[in-house]
Amino acid sequence: MNTFFLTDLVAPNANISIILPELIVAFAGVVVMLYDSFFPKQRTVSGVIAIAGLVISGIVLGTMWGGDQPATSWNGMIAHDNLRLSFSFVFLFVSAMTVLISTVWVERENVPAGEYHALLLFATFGMMMMSAGNDLVVIFLGLETLSIATYVMAGLRKADLKSNESAMKYFILGSFASAFLLYGMALIYGATGSTNLTQIAEKVANPNFPALMLIGGAMMIVGFGFKIAMAPFHVWAPDVYEGAPTPITGFMAAGPKAAAFASFIRVFVLGLPLVAGVQSSEYLHLTWTSALAVMAIATILVGNVAAIMQTNVKRMLAYSSIAHAGYALVGFIGAGMAKTDAARDAAIASVAFYMLTYSVTNLGAFAIVTLLAQKNDRRCDFEDYNGIGFKSPVLSFSLSLFMLSLLGLPLTAGFMGKVLVFRPALEAANPLITSLVVVAVIGSAISAYYYLRLIVVMFFRERVSEWIEPKIPAGLAAALIIAVIGVLYFGIFADRVIEKFAQSPSSVAVKADK
Amino acid sequence: MDFINENLITILILLPVVGAVLTLGYQMISKQEDQLKWVTLGFTVLNFLVSLLLFSKSEIAGPGGFFFEKNVPWIKAIGTNYHVGVDGLSFWLVILTTFMMPIAVISAWHAVEKKRTAFFVFLLLLESAMIGVFVSLDLLVFYLFFEASLVPMFFLIGIWGGDNRIYAAVKFFIFTAFGSLLMLVAIIALFYIYADQTGLGGSFDFVSILAAMKAGNLVLPPQTGSLLFMAFALAFAIKVPLFPFHTWLPDAHTEAPTAGSVILAAILLKMGTYGLMRFNFSLFPDQSREWAWLFITLAIIGIIYGALVAMVQPDMKRLVAYSSVAHMGFVILGMFSFTELGMQGALYTMLSHGVTTGALFLLVGFIYERRHTREITQFGGLSNVMPVYATVFVITTMASIGLPFLNGFVGEFLIMIGMFQSHVLGVTASVNWNYIAAMLSGMGVIFAAVYLLWMVQRVFFGKVTNEKNKTLADLSWREIGLMIPLIFLMVYMGVFPKPFLERSDDAIKAIQERVMHQAGGTIEKTELKPPAIADEHR
Repeated sequence: MNTFFLTDLVAPNANISIILPELIVAFAGVVVMLYDSFFPKQRTVSGVIAIAGLVISGIVLGTMWGGDQPATSWNGMIAHDNLRLSFSFVFLFVSAMTVLISTVWVERENVPAGEYHALLLFATFGMMMMSAGNDLVVIFLGLETLSIATYVMAGLRKADLKSNESAMKYFILGSFASAFLLYGMALIYGATGSTNLTQIAEKVANPNFPALMLIGGAMMIVGFGFKIAMAPFHVWAPDVYEGAPTPITGFMAAGPKAAAFASFIRVFVLGLPLVAGVQSSEYLHLTWTSALAVMAIATILVGNVAAIMQTNVKRMLAYSSIAHAGYALVGFIGAGMAKTDAARDAAIASVAFYMLTYSVTNLGAFAIVTLLAQKNDRRCDFEDYNGIGFKSPVLSFSLSLFMLSLLGLPLTAGFMGKVLVFRPALEAANPLITSLVVVAVIGSAISAYYYLRLIVVMFFRERVSEWIEPKIPAGLAAALIIAVIGVLYFGIFADRVIEKFAQSPSSVAVKADK
Repeated sequence: MDFINENLITILILLPVVGAVLTLGYQMISKQEDQLKWVTLGFTVLNFLVSLLLFSKSEIAGPGGFFFEKNVPWIKAIGTNYHVGVDGLSFWLVILTTFMMPIAVISAWHAVEKKRTAFFVFLLLLESAMIGVFVSLDLLVFYLFFEASLVPMFFLIGIWGGDNRIYAAVKFFIFTAFGSLLMLVAIIALFYIYADQTGLGGSFDFVSILAAMKAGNLVLPPQTGSLLFMAFALAFAIKVPLFPFHTWLPDAHTEAPTAGSVILAAILLKMGTYGLMRFNFSLFPDQSREWAWLFITLAIIGIIYGALVAMVQPDMKRLVAYSSVAHMGFVILGMFSFTELGMQGALYTMLSHGVTTGALFLLVGFIYERRHTREITQFGGLSNVMPVYATVFVITTMASIGLPFLNGFVGEFLIMIGMFQSHVLGVTASVNWNYIAAMLSGMGVIFAAVYLLWMVQRVFFGKVTNEKNKTLADLSWREIGLMIPLIFLMVYMGVFPKPFLERSDDAIKAIQERVMHQAGGTIEKTELKPPAIADEHR
């Protein structure tokens, strides 16, 4: 039995500069709250502060690529690698877009803007901690910061029953999933004696209790699986997505999902790596990769098939987001199967890039859905889009572009994302994984039906009822322009972004040390 | 001139895009749509003229036997290059594309009434994508254009199509997308197999992969090879369309606007046969030979089935659509005979089918514009009212049937000779299955005569039975002008096929040698001495 002495406590190796992006976001959140308490009736200023915070954080983040920061800081609690940087970039992008998109909604529904923007910034802070955390506890704290903020945001439309239902459902089920996750983490701690992922990875070959590793891993799959809406833990997603205010839905489908992917990947790919020649490790690795592969197949099929039957655009996008989690899982499993570190980093980057392409497309789509939804999200059915094609050509063609990108058609971001995540999986040359990829492309073919359906109703049908062209406010217009350019840019000139995402900043640092 | 030579193909691809952007810009500024067709026509004609520069074979072919090659990195992180070039196979298809586009534009002169800007923009974008398909030498870039061509066509059918257009458009899209997505998996898998076996890092480059295969540095395991072959073949078979994947075609053709049908028949279908010939034969020669029996069987079923179904169609456009199924069956048959004549014939039929069937769809479109029906029973005795129309129609029909001295004959004749010479199917003591295949396909020609002539008889001859037909106007000068180049080509290609065949000779030979290339390194000599009659044609 180890005795605990006070002298064992080490002062954390405080490296403020490495968590500067996170701090800036949190600070901006605090500023927004303070400002709001002094000038409660404002709407734009808090939005501007939020955008400024996110952009500054993004710039700081950008300078960290190729910097000379150590691979881990804060006694190993904060990791500094391409996973952290690329995913953090995705989160900042998603949040900034969400702020822009919600301008129309904040105005229309009289949302308490300060509250909302502060919550969004805290959620972003949580997401960034999730991708940076190299310790199970940090990851869990990040997850809870994110989740609690999101629960509240889902219920922001206080007078609306659907929004309340959404928040309540998300809260109860989310807490349940968090409990699973925490229990799994506790078991892993029990098995390895550490919550630090680097140390866990070292212990994987020789854990104290191999069985606990398996059970703990399974519990964590449940917890993370819930957050990324992986079948069979996806059931909450459509209801929550449909009920939540539309901009929040867009945010939830992109941001928190990407964050959960970041930690999921860090815990499993980096924390539970394959140690060749050790039976228990090989067994553990085989178990989690095949379990995930099977669940990814289920996710893709369930998401796509269920999406076909939806009559509500938001619900359709919710199911499609389940399917997209399945595609991202393909890259994730590819990362798990990678044979070299370089291949693994490239695979992780591919998932980050996939989440980026998905986010830019999906947020673009949600921008238009938000705009057309009108008060209380009344107009969200396919019917409401009937024949608007040539009446509002800019909106309809943008929305069509987003649909084609979600479908994964060449020259759009979605295509590049799909090619990138399928690559590592096919590199593994494993029958199960290859069939997973085949299921994924069959899923894409199925998805053509419901994505095209939106184009069909917009362009191929005639408008029966009257159509009032909505006014596009500046913030939303900016978001739309960014999304359209982003979809085309990532689809045609993706080169630099992909390289940046795969480039490991910590290896640069190691080289600099030598 | 150097700049043009180097970038000729890129110019061909981008010119229509520029046209589309200008069209859109023009409409936004001037707010009127009447002059747009001139802009579009100008760009398509310009593109045709530029494509004629391809004739100047001035450049020396690259290592893969391609001219006007351009190879620059596109997305390094993925390993894909923008690699384009033409050889004798793609050359004619590019010319066919640029040649048919102005015709399609003129055919839409008055026919398109709503949303004209969008119509012409989609037409131009479609042209870019189609040219891109034929010139891509990087598998991923090829896939990109192959998929990209779906979207404009989807809109063309869906917005300007007939009553059942939504069903047809969605069916068209999903059928084709499904097949090509599996091809994408195969393309990426091939990338890693290349990386694995050559140790050079992966490649999507068709020329590099082919070179590695020829040098024996890249040997596909038989089972993997079969799967990859099937993934590629499925994508193309759906596009061709080969029986039993043909069901999207009659719907798409019937519902599409005339210009759409013309392009669909003349060019889009050729993407499938082109893909089989270019990629399947070269990359998977062993599997191609192994599975040839399946394709030949399906092709023959397609020829006979297509003809029989065409016979009972009440709708003229649907009838022509089913005749496409039969003709494309011929192309497949010729390709899979793996003889030089058969493959030459296949390419020749691709071209002549493009011209003839394109013309048939135009002609059906003319009568539809006048009467707003295509029901055969609505007509009768049209030759009395519209003599010019009847003449042109009959000539085109004859070309489609394969009357000697018209273009259809040359291709089908070569295909049948090729099939007779072929050793691809089994030969037992009592039966030579190659002969059987050739003879069965010959039935298709007879059936073609039956359904086409029967339609001509019912539509044009006899007395004018329907009052509405008595006042129909004959072809206008625009319509006649439209048909003249097509008729000229039908006759020219039928009488003097030599320049066409000569041009594609090297490429076809290379593919034929590749596909008959045994793993051991010997070339299986299958050709009998070509009969004298075939020599005349070459």
